[in-house]
Order: sequence, then C-alpha cells, then structure tokens
Amino acid sequence: MHDKHIASAFDRDLEAIQAQIMKMGGLVENAILEAAISLETRDEERAEAVRKSDKAIDALEELINEEAARVIALRAPTAIDLRVVLSVIKVSANLERIGDYAKNLAKRTGVLSQMEPVNGSAGTLRRMAKEVEGMLKDALDAYVARDAELAQDVIDRDIQVDQMYNALFREFLTFMMEDPTNITACMHLHFIAKNIERMGDHVTSIAEQVVYLVTGAIPDEARAKGDKTSLPS
Amino acid sequence: MNDMRIVERKVDTNEVKIAAKDVQVYYGDNHAIKDVSVEIEDKTVTAFIGPSGCGKSTFLRCINRMNDTIDICRVTGDIMIDGEDIYDAKVDPVQLRAKVGMVFQKPNPFPKSIYDNVAYGPKIHGLAKNKADLDNIVENALRRGAIWDEVKDRLHAPGTGLSGGQQQRLCIARAIATAPEVLLMDEPCSALDPIATAQVEELIDELRKSYSVVIVTHSMQQAARVSQKTAFFHLGHLVEYGETTTIFTNPVDPRTESYITGRIG
Repeated sequence: MHDKHIASAFDRDLEAIQAQIMKMGGLVENAILEAAISLETRDEERAEAVRKSDKAIDALEELINEEAARVIALRAPTAIDLRVVLSVIKVSANLERIGDYAKNLAKRTGVLSQMEPVNGSAGTLRRMAKEVEGMLKDALDAYVARDAELAQDVIDRDIQVDQMYNALFREFLTFMMEDPTNITACMHLHFIAKNIERMGDHVTSIAEQVVYLVTGAIPDEARAKGDKTSLPS
Repeated sequence: MNDMRIVERKVDTNEVKIAAKDVQVYYGDNHAIKDVSVEIEDKTVTAFIGPSGCGKSTFLRCINRMNDTIDICRVTGDIMIDGEDIYDAKVDPVQLRAKVGMVFQKPNPFPKSIYDNVAYGPKIHGLAKNKADLDNIVENALRRGAIWDEVKDRLHAPGTGLSGGQQQRLCIARAIATAPEVLLMDEPCSALDPIATAQVEELIDELRKSYSVVIVTHSMQQAARVSQKTAFFHLGHLVEYGETTTIFTNPVDPRTESYITGRIG
C-alpha cells in the first residue's frame, strides 16, 4: 500500500492527531511514575503536581476527540484511515481513565503519609506501577510502529499485574484481621492496588486497539484473567 | 440484539445474474480489460469503482454489447446472463439492450415529450397491446422512476425542459419501461446536485428489489452508500470484488486500500 494520501492535508491531520495521542501517552506515563514515587516517598508536593497535571491530560482528550470528529466529518475516512480515527478516540479515552487513576493514587498519598507504613506493600505497589508503566510504554510504541506482536505481548503481560494485585489483596485482608487499627490504611492501600490493576486493564485495551488497527479485527477474549478476588474462595 | 444491527446491506439472494469469464477487451492495440472474471448477483446493487481509465466503464458496456458500436473494439471471453452467452451469434443486440437497460452520465432525454420518452421503448418492442396499456406502462415507469408526481400534469411537455435531476430520473424511467432485468448505470449522478443525487440513490435502492443493478461511480461514498457488492478495477484488472462493507472497512488487496483511502488515483 502507498504511504501517502493524494490530499496531503489528510496525512497532516492524521499525523497531528496521532502526535497528540503520543503527547497524552507521555503525560500519562509520567503521571503513573510520579504518583508511585510520591506514594512510596510520601512526598505530598510531588503528589500535588500529579493532581495538577491531570488537567492537561483531560484537555488533550477533549482536543483529540474534537479533531477526530473533524476528520470524520470532513474526510470520510475508510479502511485503515477509519481504524486510525476510531482507535484514536478509544485510546484517548483509555489514557484519560489511566490519568484519573494516577490522580487518585496521588490523592491518597496525603492520607497515607499520616499513617504508619504497612509492612512490605510499598514495594509491591511500586513494582505494579512500574510494570503498568512499562506496559503502557510498549503499547504506545506498538501503536506508533503498528506492531501487533508487541501489542499482543502487552496484552499477555497484564496477568502479572493481576497476580500482584491478588497477592496484595490477600495480604491486606490478613493485616486487617490481625489488627483492626490497620483497616483505614489497608483500605486506602487496597484502592491504590485496585486502581493500578485497573490501569493495567486500560493499557490492555489500548494494546487491543493496536491489534485492531493493524489487522482490522479485535483480538478475542481468550486472554488469561488473573484477578480472581471476586470469586468465592 | 440481531434486530438492532444494520440490516439494509443484506443481500437478499445470491443467484448469479451475470457471469463473466476471462473477458478481454482490446481497443485496437490497447488491451483495456485484462482477464476479468466476475459473478454479479441478481437483486443486488454492484458498484464498479476505480481510477479513470481503469476499464470499469468499458466492462460495463460489455454487458449490453454497447462496445459493438465501436469498430476497433474487440471482446473475447464469455459473458452470460442467466446462463446464456450474450455474445452468441443468435443474440440480437437490440433485444439484449431491452433486457439490459442503461443510464448514462449525462441525462440524455430524446427531444420529445416526457410521455414519448418513456413510451418509445415499449412501443418499438411491442410491449403494449393498446393505448391504455401503453399509458399504464408509462405511468408505472414514471412512478418507479420517482418522478411521476412531478410530471403527471405535463406529460406532453418536452423532456428536455425538465431540470437535470428530473431528466436523469426520466432517463431511468425510460430505461425501466421496457422491463429490463439488468440496469447498467454509468455515473448516473455525476451531473446532479446533492438532492437529486439522493433521490436517484433512493431510487436505486428501490430498483434492486426487482433488478440486478450495476453502477459505475467515481464517488467512493456513493458506492459505499448504494451498493451491496463492490468491484475495484485498476489498470484493466479486476483487483478485488466482495461485500461493500468489507471493501470499505478492511479490504484484502493493498491496491484497493490505497485507492479507497485516497492514496492512489
């Protein structure tokens, strides 16, 4: 297939819109990392910066949706072009949600810094956040490179995040049963873990969009599900 | 869930109406159609798309032997309608063209009254037993051409006095007055405004209940809107033929994708 449209403005529109996605992705990656660091170091200033940066992410999502609507209205995209526009809309929504979760992590930093650290969980949370951030980076790289294989790899890696979440879930339950004064901290920590786990799901969804973009088909739901906390034990 | 899906794309039948096999067309030394084989279904709108000079109009004109009128044109291979070879020596091209109607890019009503424009075909083919019968055929054709209400009070006014969109619908009414089985349309909307285009497209959708409609169009959006099957021609080859939805969302051949996304002309 030819790379370029005859109407070069069409290429510029699509490139601009995808550049905005990349910019948004960069901001979100940074928000995850910063939120995780602020949690671990109990750095409230850093957390405040994460909360503030979410506004820019939200604004970008709005901008991307407007641009996508404009391309649909003016250019009537088909085939790969249509998939680009559709995926852009979905990916920006996923990124926006991940940004919200990062913001929520940052918000809980303030509460947690007033409490005693809960044994060992900080390390796992950091590893989870690091893993999700790495998955997001790869998903965005796969998006730019139109690499369905790398995207599939990201989808497969989500199970590791799920497993870390499961482990934390059980740990928090134990702490709470041992000593009810742990409950407040553990509830917050559980929400943090759950939010990171949800981030992983949104990253997976971005990776699925990459597969759709490249192949024209959404990958089937055969992937292993790691979050078993909702099942009776 | 099923009844909430988009259904108007559904093809009602998959009976083959026109079957072309290994068709080659030469204009003198110029090899215009190369090895085209295609099966066009009954009661279906089939769109031919492709850049200028790709052979789509040439191929369309093979289906009612319009190319016979060009001296240097030579057609080989088989084109069958309902299993009968239309290039057989026994076939009378005039009879064939009554069965395979055609509408052209530019509305071309005869310089006669609206009534006579439509009545001409049925008259020469002896389809009407008497005046009342002919009146009936004319009214029916004009109704099916979605123009009856606009012309019923001035049937004896000249056809050329109508607006462009009305003239084109008159030509469609004229084409369907001989009760054809196949309707060929060579860019029927390229000289029409958007409203007239929408009316003709609505009409095409109506016509496919009874006919096999083949439409050549330069407007990709029109092909996407009106057809159930799409064939993409490029440099005399039939590159890809399939469901319109597939062609416009996830075509197989990279040349098709390049063309429909506006990357090659």
